Amino acid sequence: MQRLVVLPTSRTGWALTIAFVAVVVAGIWPVIDLVNRAVLFLGLPLLVVWSYVLIFACFAVMLIANRVIEWQEGEDD
Amino acid sequence: MTSPWPLLITLTYVAIAMVIGLRARGGRRMNSLEEWGVAGRSMGPVTLYLLIAAGSVSAYTFMGAPGWAYAKGVAVFYVAVYLAYLALVAWYFGPKVWQFGEQFGHVTQASAIADRYQSPALGALAALVMSIGSIAYAVLQTVGSAYILFVMSGGMIPVWLGVPLVLGCIAIYLFVSGQRAIGRTNAFQGVLMLIVAWAVGMWALHNATGGLRFGPLFERLLAEHGEFLTLPGAGGDMTFSFWTTSIIVSMFSFMPPVWTQWMSASSARTIRRSATWLPTYYVVILPMVVVGFIGIFSLPDLARADTVVLEYAMQHLPVVLVGLLGAGTLAASMSSSEPFIHSVALSWSRDVLQPLLGLSDALTGRLARWMIVPLMALVIAPLAIAEPGSLVMILLVGLGFATQVLPAFIGMFFWPRASRLGVMAGIVAGFLVTVAFTTLWPHPLGVHAGFWGLMLNLPVFVAVSLVTAPADSEVVERFFRIAAPRGLTRLGSGGKTVAADTAAHGG
Repeated sequence: MQRLVVLPTSRTGWALTIAFVAVVVAGIWPVIDLVNRAVLFLGLPLLVVWSYVLIFACFAVMLIANRVIEWQEGEDD
Repeated sequence: MTSPWPLLITLTYVAIAMVIGLRARGGRRMNSLEEWGVAGRSMGPVTLYLLIAAGSVSAYTFMGAPGWAYAKGVAVFYVAVYLAYLALVAWYFGPKVWQFGEQFGHVTQASAIADRYQSPALGALAALVMSIGSIAYAVLQTVGSAYILFVMSGGMIPVWLGVPLVLGCIAIYLFVSGQRAIGRTNAFQGVLMLIVAWAVGMWALHNATGGLRFGPLFERLLAEHGEFLTLPGAGGDMTFSFWTTSIIVSMFSFMPPVWTQWMSASSARTIRRSATWLPTYYVVILPMVVVGFIGIFSLPDLARADTVVLEYAMQHLPVVLVGLLGAGTLAASMSSSEPFIHSVALSWSRDVLQPLLGLSDALTGRLARWMIVPLMALVIAPLAIAEPGSLVMILLVGLGFATQVLPAFIGMFFWPRASRLGVMAGIVAGFLVTVAFTTLWPHPLGVHAGFWGLMLNLPVFVAVSLVTAPADSEVVERFFRIAAPRGLTRLGSGGKTVAADTAAHGG
């Protein structure tokens, strides 16, 4: 039992996990270093724009994941 | 301030919140843990969305975050990022926690821990230590509420009077309607906060720049104070490591009220739908933070950074907007303190006193309702009035501890071999490191103390778990049927999966 862990069991599951992790990684170092510039984009500081890109990326990833789960549940039925 | 309007508007908000909270009961009997504690697991997606959103947006958004923008700059946006990540956490864990609650009858986080590890002592320990951070958080929000009443009344309502006034209002509707009151009032408060934040932010922007575009403000900031637009910020203390570890630690702080909110949902699907939309709420942070940036130019010599929005509003905005700001800030602090007060009362009754005194479920249900009275009168109110200087420190240690409970959740969601002693050893080791690195040597190398705690906690947890006995196979099986409905993976076997029942019996 000691080597048993919960991991995704399908390609779709892995794809969603990678998407979740990618969104999180995009908000921390070293990625955040890439957008840490004193420049404006659409009138806002780049770091602020990036923060809101991440916020809406979280929304998008979960929206897609919901569709996948509903499709899988339909298939299981 | 001489106009009566700000106070009248703020008190009108309090009256509306009271009516909504009292009506939330809807004729139901509130003496059971299921009803008072988790609203009969009945909340729909919109209520749950606003419940979680308003609960996570505290007085910090209306006072602390603009203060950070004023003092440090864009570093404050780590808050928006981690709040969005908390939605990912809610999306993944929330439905499983809801299923645990629905199938096994859990109403608190600590009761889930006690059940998973078959240890009421571990549940009680988790409940008590988690309550340190929860109480400190509720006290801070109460202080914020009383401060708002003090400002809006022009000093007529001193803090010592504002504290019992706010707590009294919350106590009445919380006692009467429990989690349903929190759901309904947070829904109202969530909408109010969104409207007030954008109204105040846009008015201030127009006042400062003559338009409604953010560009001119930030162009001036770039030209005159470019250090506010990047990390480590104007204070020079928000390094990449602190940004990163603060986000990670905050993401994994599974605070007890959040579990109660998840367990109040009407279904697992409801949680996923609410969590999906949750990040969109955090646009509320932007306009308030903008006022903080405006304050850099218009209020350059503020003694307390976190008063920047209130000071700016009182000097530059019409009285009606000042009143709305008071109502919005009070809504933010009340909507955040209520769930913590409710959660502590629930957990002390269910996870500490019930197993200790052998109480029945019916008596425990009644006890939980009454528990809010001594909790508020003997703990929260005196602390809020005294405003001890170490309160923020207590909160930091409390939140640091919340992260140290992570092993309990790893054993619940990912690793069936986790043992009771492994979890306890990990928590104790991580907690000691967090306390030391918060008080004696704050955040060494710019890394969050809670992250240091985790770095010792997790290896200790794994090592002790491997040499001590796991929970009964029957318990492991029923938890992992929910946590891993498609089976578990054996490490080093090329991805071979094993069903939960096989895994539980050593397969």
